[in-house]
Amino acid sequence: METDKFIQADRFAKLILDMSTLLLSSGAHCGRINRNVQRFADTWHFRIDLFISFTGVSVTVVDMNNPENKATSNRQATTHGVHYGILTEISLLSWKAYEEKMSIDEVEKLLSDIHYTPRHNKWTIRLGIGFACAALCILAGGDWINGSIAFVAATTGLIVRQQVMACKFNAMIAILLSAFVTTMISGMDMLYHIGQSPEKTIATSVLFLIPGVPLINSVIDLFEGYIPTALARGMFGGFVLLCIAVGMSLSIALIGVNNF
Amino acid sequence: MTDFIFLMFKDAAFAFLVAVGFALLFETPKRVLYVAGLLGGIGHCIRFILLHFDFGLVSSTLAGSIFIGIAGIYCAHKVHTPPVVFTMPACITMIPGLYAYRTMMGWIKIYTDGLITQEPHILQETAYNFILTSSLLFSLAIGICVGALFFRKKSTKEIKLGKTTIIKF
Repeated sequence: METDKFIQADRFAKLILDMSTLLLSSGAHCGRINRNVQRFADTWHFRIDLFISFTGVSVTVVDMNNPENKATSNRQATTHGVHYGILTEISLLSWKAYEEKMSIDEVEKLLSDIHYTPRHNKWTIRLGIGFACAALCILAGGDWINGSIAFVAATTGLIVRQQVMACKFNAMIAILLSAFVTTMISGMDMLYHIGQSPEKTIATSVLFLIPGVPLINSVIDLFEGYIPTALARGMFGGFVLLCIAVGMSLSIALIGVNNF
Repeated sequence: MTDFIFLMFKDAAFAFLVAVGFALLFETPKRVLYVAGLLGGIGHCIRFILLHFDFGLVSSTLAGSIFIGIAGIYCAHKVHTPPVVFTMPACITMIPGLYAYRTMMGWIKIYTDGLITQEPHILQETAYNFILTSSLLFSLAIGICVGALFFRKKSTKEIKLGKTTIIKF
């Protein structure tokens, strides 16, 4: 059988690290990373001890058939975005490998393809987020005029964020600038009193920046017992919130709306 | 009553838009975008109905998110995708953005000169908003990891809804 073939521990550890750092930087919680990786370990009879921190992953693999064959290494995860396409692909790959007893060569090849999972069209995302923020504004109690201003503000804000990120600026600076620009536009609503409830426009048009994934992942990690990552993710989410608040208060101070 | 049903559908339709928008931002695969939208719409609609009957904000959100979690497990079997891919954008429709925003604004405003005399309750309000935000966040997270919490299984693929499973001791 193919799975009985000897697999060098170094090579397996490299594969595992590749996978877990990719998962970590596309917004998976630690329980998911552990489960996915464990499936590969079961497939090829390895014992895995994974230590996941927010900034990197460390792993020790031991061959169950040959305990001399073991390795420990670690790797950094630098970016922390959200990409659920990668998450889906890796989960499907892990089940496929587990059920079909794939060889490590095939898995390595498929994993290197997953790195280039296509993203949605830029403009689809921008318009989608615009409509989402407009809908949130109307759900919060604004009328159609407030909603359309929130649409323009959120779309522009997302364009700013993506462009600033593309220039390799710090992610927090991108969020701060984006919140600033968004509030500048939605603040016009407050300034000229267009529509029924202008303060709802200001409050809801920045919601696309809210770090929902890190915050919810933080609570899930708390439930599943990964306390260090839970704290780090909560801290990260809190800091993003702070950046949003600073950007907003800068622009509110500039516009001169002082009843907020 | 007709008015209430109309408002209910309006709520679900807008929540559908929100969930699809956030699913696009999170790069959810195209083939499951509609699942995220539907779950978000129905979940938010449940929350709206419960809020209308005075169940309180936190418990309504908890009910909505637990519905999303359980329906997500069912859908995950149908479309062969991990559930978090569409339950996360669906739950984002109920994210306490307004309260998180008020909390942060409160923290920033506290140091302003003379504010204590103008708004003596600002510290209390900020603490209230903070606690409300974190409770809502916890209820959303419970909804998303409902599979791991209620079904004693690590992976969603092992959970079979609607079939009796024999538990071996």
